[in-house]
Amino acid sequence: MKDPGIEKYTASFALALAISSLLSALLVVIKERNADTLLAWMKAATGHHWVSHGILVLSLFVVLGWALAQTGVGARLSGNALSGIITGSLVLSGLIIAGFFI
Amino acid sequence: MPQELLLMLHPSFGALAILAAVWVFAETLNNAEASQWRIRLVSLAAALFMWSSYLLGGYWYVRYYGADKALINAGPWPFAHSFFMETKEHLFFSLLLLATYLPLAAFGLTPGQSQVRGLVLWVAAWIVLLGLSMEGAGAFVSMGVKVALLAKTITGMSP
Repeated sequence: MKDPGIEKYTASFALALAISSLLSALLVVIKERNADTLLAWMKAATGHHWVSHGILVLSLFVVLGWALAQTGVGARLSGNALSGIITGSLVLSGLIIAGFFI
Repeated sequence: MPQELLLMLHPSFGALAILAAVWVFAETLNNAEASQWRIRLVSLAAALFMWSSYLLGGYWYVRYYGADKALINAGPWPFAHSFFMETKEHLFFSLLLLATYLPLAAFGLTPGQSQVRGLVLWVAAWIVLLGLSMEGAGAFVSMGVKVALLAKTITGMSP
């Protein structure tokens, strides 16, 4: 098997970045469409929905990065694959967020 | 600290983070033995600058933006908030994650390790691209406030 030469945390946090970015974009749509429930809860939790959003996204990034490192999922992926996954996630996240607010 | 100065520090730290990412990108293209300590140091600086921009801008946004938002929404450029600010404030999280991840990838880099090299190049390039987009969106928000104030002034001056 070809060794891509990427440490497990480098790979796992690359995947965590891609997943967290995409889920953050989806959370934008879901919270804006559920103003009375989710958005209201996010406002009540910290005083501002954007603060809660940030805490959720950053926590997800850290937890996912650590958890994926334990499973070794990212170790099977090459640097080019990880770059592609990050790029795809960022493009999709941008389109979801900008598309929602346009 | 006056709130205006706080607001100016937000794009200033953002610009410094962009410059640091450009530096990391250029050093990683070369990826020589002598570049390694600079790549690591400057990637850490990029993360630090981006976190400073996030915390200062975030504090200002939560504490003071409400008044500007009301002005923009009542002015001739409501899209400065409804599109540019909304997109900017939410897409910023992806940029923050990228800047946080950059040193993690950079510390895994060694000369001639092309897989990690490509990853660092892509992450640095995305920080530059998204960072410049944030600066541009911020300019639209500022202009949204300016045209709203101008419209108010002109309306107030008319007989």
